Amino acid sequence: MARSVWKGPFVDSYVLKKAEASKESGRNEVIKIWSRRSTILPQFVGLTFGVYNGHKHIPVNVSEDMIGQKFGEYAPTRTYRGHAADKKAKRS
Amino acid sequence: MGNPDQICVGAFSGSYGVNGEVRLKSFCADPEAIADYSPLTTEDGKLSYAITITRSIKGALVAKVEGITNKEMADDLKGLRLFARRDQLPALPDDEFYHADLIGLTVLDTGGTVLGKVHAVQNHGASDLLEIMPDADGNTILLPFTRDVVPTVDLTAGRIIADPPEGAI
Repeated sequence: MARSVWKGPFVDSYVLKKAEASKESGRNEVIKIWSRRSTILPQFVGLTFGVYNGHKHIPVNVSEDMIGQKFGEYAPTRTYRGHAADKKAKRS
Repeated sequence: MGNPDQICVGAFSGSYGVNGEVRLKSFCADPEAIADYSPLTTEDGKLSYAITITRSIKGALVAKVEGITNKEMADDLKGLRLFARRDQLPALPDDEFYHADLIGLTVLDTGGTVLGKVHAVQNHGASDLLEIMPDADGNTILLPFTRDVVPTVDLTAGRIIADPPEGAI
């Protein structure tokens, strides 16, 4: 069942505090978080979070199209290594 | 590490049916693009195989290989890895790189200190990530592949200049 709209999106309060502090300082840093369940909010766009996957913090650059998803979706907990073949990487 | 001019693009995973068709595993971003690099060679380059894709099945492709006419011959190919030449891959616009080109490059920070070598390129749905294997210990470093963090990629010199954000290392 979907979450009631009146509650608003769920975010762990420490994530909000860390994001605000990082924005105010203006430093280029990875904000380490353990809260995979927190929703990505519009004010997080442009920040880089290090989302814990149970082993290490995976850097996640937040962009506009990620708003409304959870942080955990971008830091998989299982390892999968494919072949490089003709796969491309784009520098954003 | 193998020959950098050759890129593994797929592997035969067995025969399919009794008419000499093979089951082909493609490692390409678009699986059917493997046929564009045909004829494909073995790792040593001694044997080559011209393949034509006939259809796709769950988790694999079915292909006809020139000169393979029966199931026994197709069975013999099982497990063989297929390679394409690096120069067969199309040129890319600025700021796009093949994973195969990035893997193995030396990563230095802005002060000139060696951070390690690119071990893999990952993408978990956000931006691409460079996985860097330091020379000293086995713990890898992940860096977002952005212009801010990776300002310089010099393929000819074989190095990357990175400006890792605080807390990334």
